Amino acid sequence: MENSSSLSSEQITWDLLPQKFGKRGMIWTGLLIFLCLIGAFAYYRQLRNGLAVTNMGDYVSWGIYISNFVFFVAISLVGSLITAIFRLANVKWATPLTRIAEIIAVSAIVFASLIIIVDMGRPERMLNLFIHGRIQSPIMWDVIVISTYFVISLLLLYFPLLPDLKILIKFKEKSGKALNRLYRFQGSFWKGTVQQFKISERAITILCIAIVPVAFSIHTVTSWLFATTYRAGWDSTNFGAYFISGAFLVGAGGVVVAMYVFRRNYRLEKYITEMHFEKMGRIVVMLSLLYLYFNINEYMVPAFKMKKSEEAHLAGLLTGDYALMFWFAIVVGMIIPIITLLFKKGRKPLPMFIAGIMIVVGAWFKRYLIVTPTLLHPFLPMQDVPASYHQYFPSWEEWAITIGSLAGALLVITFFVRIYPIIPIQETITEQHAEAMAKQEEISNDPATQRPVEIA
Amino acid sequence: MKKMKRNKYILLLLPFLCLMISGKAAAQEDSVVAKELVRLKYFNDNNSVQYLLLENSLKTGKKIEPLKDKIFQVYLDSNKAENLIAEVKTDKTGKAKTFLPVSLKTIWEETHLHKFIAVPAGKEDITELEIAKAKMLIDTASEQEGRSIIVQVQKYENGEWLPANEVEMRVGVHRLGGILSANEDATFTTDSSGIIKVDFKRDSLPGGQKGNIVLIAKVEDNDQYGNLMIEKTVPWGVALKQGSNFFSQRSLWSTRFKTPVWLLFLAYSIIIGVWGTIFYLVIQLIKIKKLAKSPD
Repeated sequence: MENSSSLSSEQITWDLLPQKFGKRGMIWTGLLIFLCLIGAFAYYRQLRNGLAVTNMGDYVSWGIYISNFVFFVAISLVGSLITAIFRLANVKWATPLTRIAEIIAVSAIVFASLIIIVDMGRPERMLNLFIHGRIQSPIMWDVIVISTYFVISLLLLYFPLLPDLKILIKFKEKSGKALNRLYRFQGSFWKGTVQQFKISERAITILCIAIVPVAFSIHTVTSWLFATTYRAGWDSTNFGAYFISGAFLVGAGGVVVAMYVFRRNYRLEKYITEMHFEKMGRIVVMLSLLYLYFNINEYMVPAFKMKKSEEAHLAGLLTGDYALMFWFAIVVGMIIPIITLLFKKGRKPLPMFIAGIMIVVGAWFKRYLIVTPTLLHPFLPMQDVPASYHQYFPSWEEWAITIGSLAGALLVITFFVRIYPIIPIQETITEQHAEAMAKQEEISNDPATQRPVEIA
Repeated sequence: MKKMKRNKYILLLLPFLCLMISGKAAAQEDSVVAKELVRLKYFNDNNSVQYLLLENSLKTGKKIEPLKDKIFQVYLDSNKAENLIAEVKTDKTGKAKTFLPVSLKTIWEETHLHKFIAVPAGKEDITELEIAKAKMLIDTASEQEGRSIIVQVQKYENGEWLPANEVEMRVGVHRLGGILSANEDATFTTDSSGIIKVDFKRDSLPGGQKGNIVLIAKVEDNDQYGNLMIEKTVPWGVALKQGSNFFSQRSLWSTRFKTPVWLLFLAYSIIIGVWGTIFYLVIQLIKIKKLAKSPD
């Protein structure tokens, strides 16, 4: 926070208080609500007519819904990276990004859970998973880790929010009655005493430690949903690490996009500085290279052996029906961002924003490529089935629900930013004070600035 | 300023308007003429249980929706009170099932041709189904060339059982959700003696712990005889022996085995550990709340 070190506490508080939607904000929110409503209408149709409204069938039984689910699970992993890992490693520069990462994590995990229910033909039987679930099944593990991760992420969002709620309560005139009532309900008990801070700090540290293995589990288990099934493209021992590396990349890409949008729209240039983009850029390059490495492993090794059972699947991806999408995901989702961000100029806010979008869009298609082409290539040849079984393209209801869920996740983030400060106010003030104190101490210890002591 | 605020609300209302328009469009789609369908089906399973299935649905364009809670009176041969088989009500799938009551045994045995009549409650439209009484017999033969299944279909005429020829059926092994044909042919037809002999080519099928499989012959929706089915259990499958060794299972924790205790212990330890931590953190939150009330 290079520029904020000279700012007063009042200035920081005023800058970081949540702001009302402007015209653009209203259009954006209206658009998201509209997309959500279309998605809800499509889901109503699905509930009424059953999964027959989708284009899923005997072969492609996991279509766009499960691809979207994997995408949401992946992007939610960012909460553990930015918040927990950086906090535990005492990386101070990432403080303004922690809440952005956490709200992305929470909204993504909520919609990951919802999209799984959407994929169920009989959603009213959801409770049976908890009552009659088989602990041997990876699906059951996924249900457990997702609910656990959601609760931990929520707590990790809430604990650091407590000091900010105290500040928000003070600005009743700015926030309005309804919001003030909400702030009071959530945080009126926070007085900022030493003891309260001590308990809160300890709780945050425990949460940061707990969230890392849970976050790794959530994505590893999601990868095992595929890898424990003997199918071309999924039969891999690398899948856990492959999924985690991809998840870190898409999550970091998502944070970069959010950083740019919030910085620009809420004029947060003093808090989310070019230094943040520079450092996030380096992280994104490293994560892109890591994910590219796993991709080479996942495709080159089977392609080198070209087992008969995997041949059609690989040919479909590399040169066949899915080649365009596959190379788009590799080139646009990884290679171009790597090349762009290797250069200092590429790590400036705008190129970073574009690279972030490329990563997120590429990552969504990558999840689609992991799920669908494999299902279209079973070991036994497809015989005596309708021609439509040989390919899969989602129906309008599937698209509407998927787009609606993506809009829903963005809507959660949008409303969060409207209600709460997206950059932690209290932490920013504390860090700015600490920084100023350190600078002062440095000056007083510097012999060049010390006056010779006069001897009487 | 006020005008701008109003514009904001108009923007937010737009999605609702669009949804209303799309709802109207859907309602227009529903205005296609609807036709109620009633279908009766006769079943004779293993020559012992005869029952009727009534299917009631509403056809709108290409869409068929089941009609539930519809009441019908089902009669045998004539819609008189003494010929009433039962009053039935359709379930949520639009189906209702009824067995032939003992009270109608005399009428049932009088003749070989019968008519079932379904009359909807409060209406006069009737649906009829005519069937000729028939039964199936199943036997097996083991010869040098291999095993075979022999199925005979007989019709009841003039007080005796006669061979029923040209009856098409499926013959095979009863599997979960369907019939696995006994050989490469999908269906078989009875000859002039009402018999079919089907070569059994499905060796080494898994057959439970005793190696038993269920042979089945099924006539479906026959114009004369309705739906007939006969089964016979034979020890022609491969007996499944469960290995007590953990690694002799087909995969780790396959469904036919109970969960290993060590897995349960491990899984629940992790779950209890993590949720215990969450519980501890919630208590910390309550502690913070309580601190606010302390005079300090």
